[in-house]
Amino acid sequence: MEDLSAHLNSADPATGLRAVGALHRLAEQVEAAHVRLAREQGWSWEQIGDALGVSRQSVHAKYGK
Amino acid sequence: MFERLSDTAREAITSSADEAARRGDRRIGTDHLLLGVMHDPAMAGVLGRDLRQARAELADLDLRALKAVGIDVGSFQPPGSTSKPRRSSFSSGARAVIPRALALATGERSRRITTGHLLLALIELAEPDPAAALLAGLGVDTAEVRRCLAA
Repeated sequence: MEDLSAHLNSADPATGLRAVGALHRLAEQVEAAHVRLAREQGWSWEQIGDALGVSRQSVHAKYGK
Repeated sequence: MFERLSDTAREAITSSADEAARRGDRRIGTDHLLLGVMHDPAMAGVLGRDLRQARAELADLDLRALKAVGIDVGSFQPPGSTSKPRRSSFSSGARAVIPRALALATGERSRRITTGHLLLALIELAEPDPAAALLAGLGVDTAEVRRCLAA
């Protein structure tokens, strides 16, 4: 944690804000891959929504056919 | 304004939406517009870089930024595609590119906004704009690009 705050202090805003964007993008990519996997393994949209902390509808609207 | 876009420029805008979705971005930024313009082989030729290089550079900029704030994603390989394409909106920077390209087209007495006009508008941007950061990362000489497009 000490390490992270030292990094945060040394980074300029352009780098820091890009890192935030990169984390959002990573989250989207990891989410898409694992929602697909969960569906292949027979998870319901409701189970996936609960695991992600979002509604069944929103996960279905995002990834459903 | 959009009705003045040439067919190729229109395709570039559509491609930029695909590029944003592919990357997992919610809005179309100037960096995605640049990738969209690069779907036109003529523009990739003017830049001297191809789409694959530009996408790799964006991924690399992300990794370097994460590392700079102390986050090491290790061996994670982006799976490549995210959710199904949604209707994405433009970032304010990207939204400003279209009227600027229109002004450049009008200045040349051109009825159509071409991919060349879009590219000219994009290379005018300065960092920290995302397209400017990508062009810098790719080592593109924007003065040379401007000369090529003027010729």
